[in-house]
Amino acid sequence: MPIHDQSYRRYGGRRDLAGQAWMVIARSGIRTILRKRLFLGLLLMAWIPFVVGAVMVYLNASFPQFTLLAMTAQRFREFLGTQDIFVFFITIWVGAGLVANDKRANALQIYLSKPLTRTEYIIGKLVILSAFLLMVTWVPAILLLLLQLAFSGNFTFLRQNLYLFPAVTVFSCLQVLTSAFTILALSSLSKSSRYVAILYAGAYLFSHAVYGVIYAITGSTKMSWLSLPGNLNQIGDIVFRVQPRYSTPAVVSVLAMAVVIGVSLWVLERRVRGVEVVS
Amino acid sequence: MTRLREDATAGQASQREDATAGQAREREDATAGQAREREDATAGQAREREDATAGQARQREDATAGQARQRADGHDSATASQGPAGSPAVVESAKLSKWYGQVIGLNDVTVSVPAGITGLLGPNGAGKSTFMKLMTGQLKPSKGTITVLGQPIWGNPSIFFRVGFCPDQDAFYDRMTGLEWVAALVRLNGYSEAESIDAARRALDTVDLLDAANRRIGAYSKGMRQRVKLAQAIVHDPELLILDEPLAGMDPLGRRKTIRLVKDWARAGKTIIVSSHILHEIESMTSNILLINNGRILAEGNVHQIRDLIDTHPHTVHIRAADPHGLARRFLAHDDVISLRFEEGAVVVQTAAPDGFYARLTELAASGEGGEIAEVTSPDDNLQAVFQYLVK
Repeated sequence: MPIHDQSYRRYGGRRDLAGQAWMVIARSGIRTILRKRLFLGLLLMAWIPFVVGAVMVYLNASFPQFTLLAMTAQRFREFLGTQDIFVFFITIWVGAGLVANDKRANALQIYLSKPLTRTEYIIGKLVILSAFLLMVTWVPAILLLLLQLAFSGNFTFLRQNLYLFPAVTVFSCLQVLTSAFTILALSSLSKSSRYVAILYAGAYLFSHAVYGVIYAITGSTKMSWLSLPGNLNQIGDIVFRVQPRYSTPAVVSVLAMAVVIGVSLWVLERRVRGVEVVS
Repeated sequence: MTRLREDATAGQASQREDATAGQAREREDATAGQAREREDATAGQAREREDATAGQARQREDATAGQARQRADGHDSATASQGPAGSPAVVESAKLSKWYGQVIGLNDVTVSVPAGITGLLGPNGAGKSTFMKLMTGQLKPSKGTITVLGQPIWGNPSIFFRVGFCPDQDAFYDRMTGLEWVAALVRLNGYSEAESIDAARRALDTVDLLDAANRRIGAYSKGMRQRVKLAQAIVHDPELLILDEPLAGMDPLGRRKTIRLVKDWARAGKTIIVSSHILHEIESMTSNILLINNGRILAEGNVHQIRDLIDTHPHTVHIRAADPHGLARRFLAHDDVISLRFEEGAVVVQTAAPDGFYARLTELAASGEGGEIAEVTSPDDNLQAVFQYLVK
């Protein structure tokens, strides 16, 4: 008859993450990025427009001669427009290596031989980039909005501009999702993060350049859907209820962005595999 | 013994589902029982191997009879859910095929891998890695099915709580330390931060890498990289370990340690599937092998069973004797002798019926009619010969 060990023993049974393995990927990725001091510098720089906006809110609220600096929907739209450049650089910095580095290190094979689905892996990677992008778009914009409400001293601004909360949220999410899916898809196509960065910058700038050439020839802004930033700007203008800068119907811009995200998902489905099969 | 092992495994399965403390204790008992059985089996195998030279013919007869009985009972490994040794199958494939465009990676493989250590043996490009990738759910079968621990593996990542995989390629970030890498991976198995560090340390200690745990993997030697891969495979204490070429690039000492580890894990009740294209590596770990070539399983079972399977192939016997030519004349009188060639002081015979040949040779040696016979060896007892026989 076996004598059972009565002393303390570690639990040796199964551990279940219940679909939360993406959090492990996300946490580990965010920590790795935050260790880079240069990146922290970029992140701090991205908050300079917020500081400027906060000063404007304060001046407008405190001194009547600064009424020109009053925060309007247009100002919030412009604020998020100024963040575009930071979104571009953070997307490249963080996103280019998200899948490419794992492919170069053959780590995908190891990851996917753990209790982790491909979907969880992609979600984890998306969360890494989205977290940083939201940190320079949605978070400062909402803080600015709250600051404006706090300094206005009454509910007039809130009553008149209540839609700004969903507008900031919808626009930021659209911007983050489009950028994140595009760079992730490109990242899954290569083992070199530099190549991915060049590819993304090329796609971003080239698509806008193509639209620019067509505009220069035809003088019409109807083809703005060809431009990646053009589509986002068009939707942003509509969401913030300001004068749209292009004559492209909003639905066309939305469709163009949906296609970009759809193609990115298709690429990710094909390319994020433990084993690369070359037929 | 077979029934005992089945009971133990059935106990394991139910414990896993409930994972309660009491059941965990039962599992330990069951595992201990299994380990004892396997130790017995291993000891038995070792004794068999020692006796092999003396009683080869007898063993072969026994094995053949055993095989015949198995087939008669419907326990053929290709059709039943039991491994060649009669133990429950841990990995089972049926009509499994994988092709990459026009290239066939694995072709119509129906096989059962039993508990214990199983060696997957074949030359480079034979389909070992394809089979392992199918076994670990990295590839989707083009045709057929594969189950691991009784469950389909494709699209079933939860099974990796119970499976550890060590790939053949290097798979880590050079800038990370061994400890960081192993700890980061085990977190995917549901370990907390503190637990993952503890588990990683234990795993690195097991593979003798604790001293280098805080060094960057980029500074590791090839052997150390192999061991850190092994550590990530064992860190969550899996029931099934799948090791793809684990000894590649290791120094002799590292090899010896790893072989010992593999045997220890098997004794602890784990199932290990290990691939290699080097025969003596596999031979040093197990006698239970699967021979694979051109995407097909050529043979399965232990070395002696496989030799029985290939008895239709010419069987080579090397006889060192005082009068090789005189012996050769006597051998030629029998139809089963396919060819003869002479070496210095020896004759090398190829026979289609080794049992009969050995019996006659023994009579001949006893009678002294063919002159003094100094030494009889057969490369068939070497795994290399079995492999060559089947591959060529």
